[in-house]
Amino acid sequence: MNLISFKIVAYITILLWLTGCFFLLFNHKIKNGNQIGKIITFSGILFIIAFVVFLWINLERPPLRTIGETRLWYSVLLPLIGFFIFTKWNYKWLLYYSISIAIIFLIINLANPQNFDKNLMPALQSIWFVPHVIAYMIAYALLGVCMAIAIWGLYLHKFKSFKYELLNKADNLVLMGFSFLTIGLLLGALWAKIAWGHYWSWDPKETWALLTWLNFIFYLHFRFYHKQKIVIPLWTLIVGFILLMFCWIGINYLPVSKNSIHTYSFILIFTYLNSIKTKEKP
Amino acid sequence: MTYNKKSIWQYPWGYRESFIIASGLLILGLVMNYFIKFSNLTISWPINIWFGFFFIIILLFSQILFKKKSFVKWLSSTPAAISAIITFSFLVLLMGLIPQKNENVNSIIFKSGLTEITNSLMYVFILIYLLTTLGMVILRRSFPFKNKNIAFFINHFGLWVILFTSALGAGDFQRIKITVNKINPIYSGINQKGIFISDLGIAIQLNDFLIEEYTPKAYIINGTTGDILNQKNIILEKGNKLKVLDWEIEVLDFYEYAAYNDSIYYAIYDIGATPAAFIKVTQVNTKTIKTGWVSCGSFKYPGNYLLLNNNQLLVMAEPEAKKYSSDIKIYTKKGEIFNKSIEVNKPASVNGYKIYQIDYDHKRGKWSEISVLELVKDPWLHGVYIGIFMLIAGAVYMFWISNKKLN
Repeated sequence: MNLISFKIVAYITILLWLTGCFFLLFNHKIKNGNQIGKIITFSGILFIIAFVVFLWINLERPPLRTIGETRLWYSVLLPLIGFFIFTKWNYKWLLYYSISIAIIFLIINLANPQNFDKNLMPALQSIWFVPHVIAYMIAYALLGVCMAIAIWGLYLHKFKSFKYELLNKADNLVLMGFSFLTIGLLLGALWAKIAWGHYWSWDPKETWALLTWLNFIFYLHFRFYHKQKIVIPLWTLIVGFILLMFCWIGINYLPVSKNSIHTYSFILIFTYLNSIKTKEKP
Repeated sequence: MTYNKKSIWQYPWGYRESFIIASGLLILGLVMNYFIKFSNLTISWPINIWFGFFFIIILLFSQILFKKKSFVKWLSSTPAAISAIITFSFLVLLMGLIPQKNENVNSIIFKSGLTEITNSLMYVFILIYLLTTLGMVILRRSFPFKNKNIAFFINHFGLWVILFTSALGAGDFQRIKITVNKINPIYSGINQKGIFISDLGIAIQLNDFLIEEYTPKAYIINGTTGDILNQKNIILEKGNKLKVLDWEIEVLDFYEYAAYNDSIYYAIYDIGATPAAFIKVTQVNTKTIKTGWVSCGSFKYPGNYLLLNNNQLLVMAEPEAKKYSSDIKIYTKKGEIFNKSIEVNKPASVNGYKIYQIDYDHKRGKWSEISVLELVKDPWLHGVYIGIFMLIAGAVYMFWISNKKLN
C-alpha cells in the first residue's frame, strides 16, 4: 500500500463527485441530468468504498487506527448518508453539503500524507475495535447531517419561512445518530473493561464523548417537551457537532489530552540517540 | 412565558427554581470543598449498600406517599430533569477542560476540588440530584406500568442503574499493580490509591514473558533537529529496495538477533541481542554509494546509524510490539495452582480478580525478566453490565423506531 494509489483514488473520487453534482445542479439544462448526476455521484461513493476494502485487505488490519484513516471513513459515510437522504426526501442541498465536507476531508488527507502502516498495537487487537469505531463514524456522519439541517433551519427561520417538518426530520436523524452514538460509547465501555481493566476511566476522550452524548440527550428531552421552540434545538445540534468534532479531532490540542490513554500514535524510540518521537498524530 | 407571571418559589416550580436549586447544589459543594478537607468521598462495603438501600426506599416512599405533593411532582418534572442534565454536563465540561489529578495542592482550583471533580462534593451533590430526578420520573411513569412506556423504561432505568451501581461500587473497586518475576511468587502490590496491599490472597510467579515484534523500520532523520523526514515506510526486510527522498535504499542483510563486536554486527541468538541491518544507500543524483550497519541497539549492545550527508541520518527505531504475554503460575491459599497465559485484551479470571497484562521492563525489551500485571476487583460490575445491556437494547430499539419513521 502506498501513497500514490490513495492520491489517484482521491482525485478520481473528487472528480466523479464534482461531475455528478454538476449534472444535478444543471439538470434543467441537461437531458436526464438528474439521473446521470445520481449515477456518477454514486459511482464515486462506490469507488471510494472499494478503496477502503482494498486498503483493509492490503494492510491486514482494519484501516481505523489513525485520525487520517477515520477521516477517510467519514468521507465514505457522509456522502452515503447524504445520498440516501437525497433520494428519500429530495434534499439536494444536503447531498451538496455532504459531498463538500467529504471532499474537504479528502483534501486534508491529501495535504497530510501519511504512510499507511501495517502495524497495530496490542491494545487495538480486539474484536471490539471495528464495531466501536464504525458505530462512532456512522453516528458522526448522521449527526453531521443534522448540523447541516440546523444551519439551513436557522437560515430559513431568520430570512424565510421555517417549517416544523424540518425539525421533525432532524429528530429522526438525531434518534438514529444517537442510537449509534450510544452503542459506540457502550461498546467502548465494554472493551475498556477488557483492555484497560475498567469500563470508565474519565480519560479525556471519554469525558468529551460523554459530553457529546449528554448534548443530544438534552436535545431529545427539549424537543420532546417544547415542540414549538425552534432556535434552541437547532443551536443544540450545532453545538453537538462542534463537541463531536472536538472529541474526535480537537482534543489532541488540549493540555488535558497529555495523559490520555486513548491516543494511538506509535512512539518511536531511538535509544542511542536519546530521542523519542511520535510518529503520527492519531 | 407564562411562568414569569407567578412569583418565584410558588408551585409548580419551573426552570427558574430548578436551575437555582441545581446551581445552589454546585456552589454549596464548591464552597464546602474549599473549607473542609476531604480526602476520599467514595463509600465502601457495607456502608454503600445501606446508603443505596435507603436512597431507593426514600425515592419509593416519596413516590407512593407524597405523589400529589408539589415538591415530589417537581422532582419528576421536565425542568428538574433538564436542570440536572445541564449541571451534570457542566461538570463534565469542567473535567474536559481542567486536567484532572493535578497535584498542585496550593492552587484554589485544587482546593475547590476542580482537579479531581469525580471526588468532589459538587459531583456527589449533582449526581444525587440527577439520580433523584431520574429515579422519580422512572417511578412515576412505571406505576401503573404501560406497554408504551417500555422503551422509556429501558433507556432511563438502564442509565439509572449504570450511574447508581458505578457510584456505589467506586469504593469497592480495587486495582492493584504487581510486578512479577521468575524467581519467587509475589503476593503483594500497590492499589490505585497508592496503598500497599500486603496480602492479595493469591501469589503469582512468572513462568515466561514473551514479546512478538514487528519487523523494525528505519527512518531518515535530520541530525540537528531530530525530525523524521521520510513519509514512506522503510521496512528492514532483507532484499527490500526502495527510493526515499534522494536515496536509493537497499537492505542487504537483516538479523533479528545480533551481537556487536569490532564495529560489525553478526547473527547470534543471545540474551540482549539486538536487531541489526546492513544497508546500501545510493545517492540518486551523484550515484555515490554508502554501505553500513544500522541498529537500534539493546541494553547489552550499542546501536548504530548511517550518516547519509551532513545533516541526514538513517536510523533504526526500536521494534514495535505486536503482542506481549505472560505465562504465569498462580497459587491460592487453598493450595491450588493454576497456569494462565495473559496478554493485552485477554485478561484472566482467578479468585474474583481479573488479571491484566500492563507492562514490562522496556529497557530490556524482549529480554524483560519481569512483567507488570494489574489485579482488578469490581464486585459491582454485574450491576453496571445490566445497565449497559439495557441501554444497548434501548439504543437498538431507538434505531428501529427511527428507521421505521424514515421509511
